[in-house]
Amino acid sequence: MLIPRRVKHRKQHRPDRSGAAKGGTRVVFGEFGIQALEHSYVTNRQIESARIAMTRHIRRGGKVWINIYPDRPLTKKPAETRMGSGKGSPEWWIANVKPGRVMFELSGVAEPVAREAMRRAMHKLPMKCRFVKREVGEA
Amino acid sequence: MSEVRIAAELRTQFGKGAARKIRRADKVPAVLYGHGTEPRHLTLPGHELLLALRTANVLIHVQGEGVDELALPKGVQRDPIKGFVEHVDLLLVKRGEKVTVEIPVTVTGEVIGSALVDQQLVTVSVEAEATHIPTGVEVDVDGKDVGFAVTAGDLRLPNGVTLAGDPEALVLHVIAAQAAELPAEGEEAAEAAEGEAPAEAAE
Repeated sequence: MLIPRRVKHRKQHRPDRSGAAKGGTRVVFGEFGIQALEHSYVTNRQIESARIAMTRHIRRGGKVWINIYPDRPLTKKPAETRMGSGKGSPEWWIANVKPGRVMFELSGVAEPVAREAMRRAMHKLPMKCRFVKREVGEA
Repeated sequence: MSEVRIAAELRTQFGKGAARKIRRADKVPAVLYGHGTEPRHLTLPGHELLLALRTANVLIHVQGEGVDELALPKGVQRDPIKGFVEHVDLLLVKRGEKVTVEIPVTVTGEVIGSALVDQQLVTVSVEAEATHIPTGVEVDVDGKDVGFAVTAGDLRLPNGVTLAGDPEALVLHVIAAQAAELPAEGEEAAEAAEGEAPAEAAE
């Protein structure tokens, strides 16, 4: 599972959930991609689960790129704890994904296979997504 | 490549308010510059421009009051979700002038067995006459096996077109497909680091 090797600050504020993706909105490495249509925090478990769903469907061949990285920790206070006494302990590692972001890319397989593989992967992700293809010759 | 004629109006109001007003009218704010001239701000029709931009490096003949120029799209800003064009940068060109542009590389044919085409470059930089920019370059991989590689210098470019980038740059190579379910890269290392990251940070 993806996880930072070391971090500067163990507990961070929750990332900003507003706005759209500024970059990474087009398919650049592969031929097909999964684009986020909503904002969401994507955990490293969800990323791994989506990757496995994709690679299991395409079996041999094909190459998968993961364009997001879960570099933000989220904390959680234990159940039935009174408020106060400091911030909770790190519980999840998440990627802060904004609408428009291409999260996964795929190449080396036919389009119907890619569509199905990515449809399966999308079910593992917490937001609405869509299948996108590389645009040819965009300036 | 044929040119596309697009009617343009000179823009006199600037800023996000004026730009949004233009977009609401199904038009696109644009800027035209190059050859040391002062930038000219234009308004272009949205639908016609969208259709024109479907072709890579389309030559646009911008016509209108006070403007009659040939231009190439240098930068296109699109809405990442809806896909409409938000703004276009147009670069002035002249007939017969050589320009450096990125043209798409398309792969045709099927490689042998379960080998996989790993395309490293999806576009190559070429120098061509502004009015004769090729739409793309094809690479045939039909019947090729693992180890086959194509560099930018190997590409067959049309007459009058020269490569502008590094001829040694790898465009694509044929590699052996990986087994179906290999563990993720560095999965074990990541698991080991799981407890490590917070611990280090606490120091």
